[in-house]
Amino acid sequence: MPPPPVRSPSRLLLCHCRLPFHISPQTRLPLSHNSSVRRRFHCSAVSAVSALSSDPQIAPTDLTTTPPSSHILSIRESLLSRRRTAADVAGEYLDRLRRTEPHIRSFLHVSETTMREAEEVDRLVASGKDLGPLAGVLVGVKDNICTAGMPSTGGSRILEGYRPPFDATAVRKLKEAGAIVIGKTNMDEFGMGSTTEGSGFQVTANPWDISRVPGGSSGGSAAAVSAKQCVVSLGSDTGGSVRQPASFCGVVGLKPTYGRVSRFGLMAYASSLDVIGCFGASVIDSAIVLNVVSGHDRFDSTSSTHEVPDYASFLMSTDHFESTPLKGLKVGMIRETIGDGVDVGVISSIKAAALHLEELGATITEVSLPSFSLGLPAYYVLASSEASSNLSRYDGVRYGNRATVDELNSLYGDSRADGLGPEVKMRILMGTYALSAGYYDAYYKRAQQVRTLIRKSFKDALEKMDILVSPAVPSPAYKIGEKVNDPLAMYAGDIMTVNVNLAGLPALVVPCGFVEGGSAGLPVGLQMIGSSFSEEKLLRIGHIFEQTLPNYRFVPPLFLELV
Amino acid sequence: MATGMTMSDATLLRRLSTLLVARSGCPRRMRLFSSYIVRGATFEPPDVSHLADSARISLAPGESYSYFRFGQLQAVDLESVEPSVRADAEVSMHKREDTPETFENREAIIRVAPSYDDPYIKVPKVLSKE
Repeated sequence: MPPPPVRSPSRLLLCHCRLPFHISPQTRLPLSHNSSVRRRFHCSAVSAVSALSSDPQIAPTDLTTTPPSSHILSIRESLLSRRRTAADVAGEYLDRLRRTEPHIRSFLHVSETTMREAEEVDRLVASGKDLGPLAGVLVGVKDNICTAGMPSTGGSRILEGYRPPFDATAVRKLKEAGAIVIGKTNMDEFGMGSTTEGSGFQVTANPWDISRVPGGSSGGSAAAVSAKQCVVSLGSDTGGSVRQPASFCGVVGLKPTYGRVSRFGLMAYASSLDVIGCFGASVIDSAIVLNVVSGHDRFDSTSSTHEVPDYASFLMSTDHFESTPLKGLKVGMIRETIGDGVDVGVISSIKAAALHLEELGATITEVSLPSFSLGLPAYYVLASSEASSNLSRYDGVRYGNRATVDELNSLYGDSRADGLGPEVKMRILMGTYALSAGYYDAYYKRAQQVRTLIRKSFKDALEKMDILVSPAVPSPAYKIGEKVNDPLAMYAGDIMTVNVNLAGLPALVVPCGFVEGGSAGLPVGLQMIGSSFSEEKLLRIGHIFEQTLPNYRFVPPLFLELV
Repeated sequence: MATGMTMSDATLLRRLSTLLVARSGCPRRMRLFSSYIVRGATFEPPDVSHLADSARISLAPGESYSYFRFGQLQAVDLESVEPSVRADAEVSMHKREDTPETFENREAIIRVAPSYDDPYIKVPKVLSKE
């Protein structure tokens, strides 16, 4: 049972910081009024930084009355100006993590060396040496991404206690940039699931309503950023596992182009679909993390040599926005994602988001993606097939839990039967079936052909449009337990996201509105999809959208109650 | 859950037990996607014990399954569509030199092995199948 919320007059006001769910066309403010609203709320990157760093802690009033700012830049500024120490910042986050964890359980492991690493950063600051772009920034890492010496279980009992001998490339790059890994976040086992109810260890709660799921499979990483237990976090996205929890938790979620970020050290689920992505409370923070983790890696031959621009440098402060900063932008709203089977509140939020984009100068056109609905069965065939191969390494021989038996075949069979959860076993068996002799052509090959159709339909649409938009999920966050016995309904929730993985495209989810539910509403995210390696365009559009979105602030009640 | 079943599928489902398997105190029913109809022919439903054997996952006695269908893949015309192995067909695979490199932390690899007797990772004996 959560503790009763602290009530004080100012807190009550803060808890209800959100204004009407959406702005209908009749009540929509004309552009000139929006400009004045924007001026009243606007907060350029510079003033946001000083507002945050003048207080010893993140002040709720700033978070609920201004557009999201970069916590990474604010921490950097406060360290360089000596206004705060890295130890102060780390202490603040650790304290908040400890107070919120009993309610949301987003972490499987919390680092024991956080304060020591923060003191290292302080020594570096004192020495006057250059600070990396993430110096002193607390990062959560999804538990399927290997961190040397820290347990990495993939959310599975078969790897309970396993400590990898190496860091994933993405983790190594974060550490080289000065980041502090505060802990490993909860997830559905090996990435298979959309709620964290598939974790072998615990279920994470959504900070917006702790009777609801945060989404999955990167639910822990999304919840941790939403509740400000860490500044940013890494997740992985195979069929929507970064984008769906970003939408459920009201945070920014970025799925890069396949090959943008090295997969070395990411426990493979489906090798042709997996990517490492990230969560942040603002688009700028996601862009800064993308800068750090992107690039070719000799240990991942599927990683791309495509150059890495400075993604954050494209993001200007709102002081410099003209009145229609997205003038000339052609946006395609995917027709198949705003019809039957989608929650009316979600459709309404997405349409309001489209109106907002129009106010910023973009033109919105409905587009249809042929073969859209084939993505889901194709995805499940491909992902299960690849998973059946990738998960064969979890056999109790070289690492992980091993059954105590006398004979080798039983060692494999029992270790896997005991250590792997039911959803994982089911998908391995499905994949084994789809790849077996006599069925390969009917299942796997056909799914690969459908993949070609889907790639082509995105390519055609993105020739006519600059970006495509859709909801990230057909509904807001489910109640815990709601989908556990209804796997088909759970799979159906992936319909908006899987096609993007099949085509390997980048996508950004930005919180855009709310629907009824919980004590303060449930967040809804807008998904923006671009062509391969168009992250800079997506981030620029997402940033402008976020910074000018009137009236909404995505700070969950849990944070306000316990801060 | 399954719609548009053939008579043989319905019979199969009736014959299959739908016992719930208790695991860690929570009932679990395992599900597999299965047969569908292509031009009037019905594919064999999966031989689950054979699949489990191939996948090296021991099944408890009485562990059972219900089916779902992914028939939409069969319904679409894919004549002359090339299969895509990956998202981007133009990826140029940069391979590194095929020369061995010693990993700098072999100790940490050995430490996580469940049973190690230098220089072997030990496993139980193999029983030959009769």
